[in-house]
Amino acid sequence: MCGINGIFAYHYAANPIGEAELLRTRDRMAARGPDSANAWCSEDGRVGFGHRRLSIIDLSDGGLQPMANDDGSLRIVFNGEIYNYRALKAELTAKGHVFRTSSDTEVLLHLYAERGAAMVDALRGMFAFAIWDERRRQLFLARDPYGIKPLYYADDGWTFRFASQVKALIAGGAVSADLDPAGRVGFYLWGSVPEPFTIHESIRALPAGATLLVDRLGAGEPRRYHSVAEVYRAAEEASGRGVPPSAAGEAIREALLDSVRHHLVADVPVGLFLSAGIDSAALLGLMRDAGQDEIETVTLAFAEFRGRPEDEAPLAAEVARVYGARHTVRIVDRAEFEADLPHILDAMDQPTIDGINSWFVAKAARERGLKVALSGLGGDELFGGYPSFTDLPKWVRRAAVPARIPFLGRAVREVARRSGSIGRLGPKAAGALEYGGDYAGAYLLRRGLFMPWELDGLLAPEIVERGMRRLAPLALVRQALTPAPRTAYGRVATLESTLYMRNQLLRDTDWATMAHSLEVRTPLVDPVLLAAIAPYLAAAGRPAGKGDLAAAPRVPLPQGITGRAKTGFTTPIRNWMRQAAAAGAGASSARAERPWARDWALRVAAAPNAAPALVGVGGTDRAAA
Amino acid sequence: MRLLALVTEAFGGHGGIARYNRDLLTALSRSSPVEAVIVVPRFGDVEADLPPRVAQRAARPGRLGWSAAATEAALRMRPDAIFCGHLNAAPLAAALSRVLRRPLWLQLHGIEAWPDRGRTMRRAARAASLVTAVSRHTRRRFLGWSDLPPERVRVLPNTLDAVYRPRPRRADLVGRYGLEGRRVVLTVGRLAPSERYKGHDRVIAALPRILARVPDMVYLIVGGGEDRARLEALARTGGVASHVVFAGRVADGDLPDHYALADVFAMPSTGEGFGIVFLEAAASGLAVIGGDRDGSLDALADGAIGRAIDPDDPIALGDALVTALKTGEAADPAALRRFAFDHFARHVDALVRSLGR
Repeated sequence: MCGINGIFAYHYAANPIGEAELLRTRDRMAARGPDSANAWCSEDGRVGFGHRRLSIIDLSDGGLQPMANDDGSLRIVFNGEIYNYRALKAELTAKGHVFRTSSDTEVLLHLYAERGAAMVDALRGMFAFAIWDERRRQLFLARDPYGIKPLYYADDGWTFRFASQVKALIAGGAVSADLDPAGRVGFYLWGSVPEPFTIHESIRALPAGATLLVDRLGAGEPRRYHSVAEVYRAAEEASGRGVPPSAAGEAIREALLDSVRHHLVADVPVGLFLSAGIDSAALLGLMRDAGQDEIETVTLAFAEFRGRPEDEAPLAAEVARVYGARHTVRIVDRAEFEADLPHILDAMDQPTIDGINSWFVAKAARERGLKVALSGLGGDELFGGYPSFTDLPKWVRRAAVPARIPFLGRAVREVARRSGSIGRLGPKAAGALEYGGDYAGAYLLRRGLFMPWELDGLLAPEIVERGMRRLAPLALVRQALTPAPRTAYGRVATLESTLYMRNQLLRDTDWATMAHSLEVRTPLVDPVLLAAIAPYLAAAGRPAGKGDLAAAPRVPLPQGITGRAKTGFTTPIRNWMRQAAAAGAGASSARAERPWARDWALRVAAAPNAAPALVGVGGTDRAAA
Repeated sequence: MRLLALVTEAFGGHGGIARYNRDLLTALSRSSPVEAVIVVPRFGDVEADLPPRVAQRAARPGRLGWSAAATEAALRMRPDAIFCGHLNAAPLAAALSRVLRRPLWLQLHGIEAWPDRGRTMRRAARAASLVTAVSRHTRRRFLGWSDLPPERVRVLPNTLDAVYRPRPRRADLVGRYGLEGRRVVLTVGRLAPSERYKGHDRVIAALPRILARVPDMVYLIVGGGEDRARLEALARTGGVASHVVFAGRVADGDLPDHYALADVFAMPSTGEGFGIVFLEAAASGLAVIGGDRDGSLDALADGAIGRAIDPDDPIALGDALVTALKTGEAADPAALRRFAFDHFARHVDALVRSLGR
């Protein structure tokens, strides 16, 4: 778990790499790796790696990076964890590989030597890494299947640069900070910038589940090796071939326990973010089942909620008691939020409307001395916990026929606009006919922050035009659905986990927790788990609900947890954000009627340290007007 | 691999694009996967000594005639790939590439690829499986409107001709331009109203500031064109006419001797696709100053070959010129060597192989 970066002057015309630039980029990520910092430059000055380390596996200097193999022909920088590294190491040792350290990093080096780019198929974990192959004179990069760990790159035609964070690449000084209209439009449409775009035109995200080769010609095309859509599709086909439903409960329990067990691999204590929800409570029970003795749990609480149903603290404390965890309730108040806000915006790698909760819970965990914590993130995507699992199929069904009538949807929206009824209907209802006819359009509506036709009020028209063209939002959503799962559940689960979870939840979790030098692990976001249980989930053809998850721990969850009405993810932070947004952006009365996230988006867009020059460069941003 | 090259001009042609194409075709002829190249030019007479495996058809200056010749050659030859030497011909080349289902390689030279060229051109450009741009800046500007995946657009710079090297001043030229005992700043480039971005105006405007500190200097302008009268008037109204010498257009063979007359080469341009003249000047032993916001940065190698300044900052330009005139040193020949033809040819070989992948 670390911050990584590198420069490769691949073109014959490029100057040798600058070590000062390499270190500037590396040290912008100091919080990602406070334990040590190292760098390596090749003798010919054509390639260099930087690394900031948060030590979790092999705390000795054996785990130091950049790490080379014995003859120096391979060199790696790696951010993340390989949970099956011991099994891989045993396999490789049997084949004659000799290991010098007990780190998972060294396993990657040997695995690459053994299998080349196909190595990624053997990995279970969260990872982003780069390997310099001196013999082939090429750089190999890879990112985990779900995109838990970030990896960004910039190729200017002469020199290739990569880093764990967008802001770190900019801090190097050699990458243009010009904004990408696609990134800006994407942020307003969804509240986060969808990969492979970033907020900067010169920087791309290596897509989740993809590898990249950089040779003398520069960066190649990212090659996908994993697709969530494909897993669901295959699971649906398999479920038709007789998965006995009676075995589902036990199989799911086994798979969950297996994932939790893998996610506990560490040479430091592993804690847990605990809420009053089923996801984290079940994880705690499974941690116990996996044999973890000492467990530290952390829950956020708010003075405003004391004694109200929204307060998660009492139930969370009950769960911690049942499973015998050492429990901490961390109270956050508005004053702390306001004091932290500048730091939050500074740590925010790209503009986003989320991540605040993660910031505080990570802060609390770090205060307890934790370096690693598990999170229940991903449970809603896997088990169908979002309202979208019922909404989307309903919308698509209702709008399917009218959406086939050309221009009808647009005409309805236009009439609504002219008659002034969009305000009453809400922009989403106004677009229901136009976009609701298929899953991609319906998803845009469901997760949309601003609707496409609202962008003209936020950005200069030429930015909107260029941004929509480059981003092609519907095509982007459809691509996530290729090959399309057959069931409604499979489709929504694919969309939620490859768009919302990837671009918003996982990315925000990364920057908000790494800012506190805390590694978060997500046992419910795991390709092996997905492949194991998808056939059972797909067999139902509809969201399975959290019953199987709740039933997984050997010691049952307290009744209060399983019986609790879903409150959604409510915290007073939304109110504070809303107030901060009003204070920062000079809110008009019209804005007061908008959902909080829209106000917050405008506030973020106007904060120069969150979204460098989001206002002003490449066309006037009207948001602040 | 058999290639069809659709170009404005190559062998027998004049100017920068023709030269670039000749270098590229020569490099292609040395690449082992390439079995044959058929060149269909709009301008330029066929030369006797073409590189091996390269054949050039007769020039067809008219747009329609050239398009017909290109189409005919494509259908008859059925090439394995099509090279299109100019963005303006991309729609035709894209259509041929679609019909024949063969990869298209598109070359970008400079400002033609900077502004948004509209939907038709975007569609044509997106048909290319490989685009080479002469500089990083040209690549970036093109990516900004074409929406191509960045990995499809590579940079292939100009090459430096070995004829440029330090040499003594030719006495007849010193006499002709009155340069005896004078420090000389040089710009080489066409004086066309459409190419005012080159920055002759900026240098003339900076002259009073420079003359105050280097009184004996002369600004030598090599190149002809319709903008000359305007620049002459500008020098007169600026009171610096006696320090500005217009050499007019100079034959290619005399160009190396003209570089040798100067101490400093300056072209604070904002519109260079690459700026090969910076390399020629540096190879001739001159200190070099250029702009910092276009392809010039590539020719200046981000400062390793020459100094990059903000072209719109007259004080920075004046100060840079004074410093260069007083203490300026030529670029390290090692820094220039990167633009040697053999590097270029190796890269072209790798590009050709990537087309086949």
